[in-house]
Amino acid sequence: MPGMLPMTAPSVAMPTSLTEALGALADHGPGAVPLAGGTWIMRSPLRREGFAPAYVGLSRVAELGKINVTPDTIEIGAAVTHARLAEALEGLPEVAALAFAAGNSANPAIRNVATLGGNLCARGFAAADLVPALLCLDALVEVAGASATNRVGLADFLMHRDRLLQGSVLTRMILPRCGRPSAHARLPLRKAGDYPVAIVSMAAGIDGSGRIETSRIAVGSVEPVARRWTALEDALAGQPLDPARASDIARSLTTGFSGREAVEAPGWYRVQVLPTLVGRAVAALASQA
Amino acid sequence: MTIRLTVNGEERDIAAAPMTPLVDVLRDTLHLTGAKPVCREGFCGACMVLVDAVPTVSCLTPLVLAQGRDVETVEGLTSADSPMPVQAALEEHDAVQCGMCFPGMVVTLTHLTTAGRCEPSREAVKAGLVGNVCRCTGYERIVDAALAVMEDRP
Ligand SMILES: Cc1cc2nc3c(=O)[nH]c(=O)nc-3n(C[C@H](O)[C@H](O)[C@H](O)COP(=O)(O)OP(=O)(O)OC[C@H]3O[C@@H](n4cnc5c(N)ncnc54)[C@H](O)[C@@H]3O)c2cc1C
Ligand code: FES
Ligand code: FES
Repeated sequence: MPGMLPMTAPSVAMPTSLTEALGALADHGPGAVPLAGGTWIMRSPLRREGFAPAYVGLSRVAELGKINVTPDTIEIGAAVTHARLAEALEGLPEVAALAFAAGNSANPAIRNVATLGGNLCARGFAAADLVPALLCLDALVEVAGASATNRVGLADFLMHRDRLLQGSVLTRMILPRCGRPSAHARLPLRKAGDYPVAIVSMAAGIDGSGRIETSRIAVGSVEPVARRWTALEDALAGQPLDPARASDIARSLTTGFSGREAVEAPGWYRVQVLPTLVGRAVAALASQA
Repeated sequence: MTIRLTVNGEERDIAAAPMTPLVDVLRDTLHLTGAKPVCREGFCGACMVLVDAVPTVSCLTPLVLAQGRDVETVEGLTSADSPMPVQAALEEHDAVQCGMCFPGMVVTLTHLTTAGRCEPSREAVKAGLVGNVCRCTGYERIVDAALAVMEDRP
């Protein structure tokens, strides 16, 4: 029966290499899934999902914990925690959106444990902060399976997540370094510590006169899965970095969103706050530019 | 399955299912009842312990991820006979009301008041306490106590 706890407690393998981890997933069959920080998985019973029959721990796989910054790209291993990510990216302006997302989501104890991979792979988790931040930064993710390793754009990954992750491990994320400023505006209901009601992440190329040339804008937590706001990207091309103006333009373009209903906020409210968050993101970009 | 970890300086072998929440092992097997499972969601901080010196919610830590690691609970970080600086400062500032949140508060504050961990400002202390919810006090006296410990630090 769906949602029931398995009759026996789940087994957990703790491999020390990626090859072993993929082997363990194959050995335990289709029900086996990775266990990273456990902050999402440990709440499965509260969501009435029950545990999986078997887990494969990733915390001892050293290669998944690496961060590699080169002049052209930033590569981040899936098992890197939010806290380490925020620390490693400090002072790199083109990934300010990601550094802010990693350093301000959840609370300090959760950030010390929760991983990049867990944030991108948690199914049914609309409020994931790293997802819109990475969408605006044009991230690629690398997924390793038993027979092949593939790189896919994050939007495609999100669309085909269930299929791509079958028996596989998200190994790392690759960001191009394009030198554009970026920002992440999130609205929790308390000052900090709870899930954001809505998120706007934005990266923009700014021309010599301070106008937006092109931008990538992503919206999180409003709909079940984060996505780009391409209508706003188009409308902001050629506009100055003016928060009030950007906010007004955004207000005229919210009709495409269908906000998700949940106990903490109704759907209409999530959509209603988007223009304000766009204004905040543009203000943050202006302060970096 | 037996899982070995160190709790308050003592090595322990625990026979329990690997996904058992650490808080249940601490309370039900080791009878260390300071950490409290209040929300079991990672929000309230009442179950906070140090794992390898880092504040960690024991409700969301499966036992298997504590294997081979050093766990310190409020029992190991405090003393009734000679109160530690955080304990003494909380008492001096009359910070405790119902006391429900305090085992977790003391664990986080012990970490935050260690030299080099947190800037001695109200804002930084509050940011450090985001995952420790207190329904009684309004936090200000807790922050006062933390700052007093930081200022007295050698
Ligand atoms: C109190 C609290 C507040 C929170 N607030 C926020 C917030 O404000 N913003 C936010 O973004 N998040 C927030 N979170 C959610 C948190 O970010 C997620 O729980 C976390 O990112 C999951 O990471 P994890 O490493 O713990 O994943 P796990 O729980 O270990 O795994 C999550 C899922 O991902 C899969 N998985 C993990 N790693 C991989 C991999 N490498 N490859 C394939 N599959 C994998 C697992 O099988 C599982 O399905 C909060 C959580 C708590 C407890
Ligand atoms: S019980 Fe663990 S955080 Fe509330
Ligand atoms: S003193 Fe009562 S919850 Fe903090």
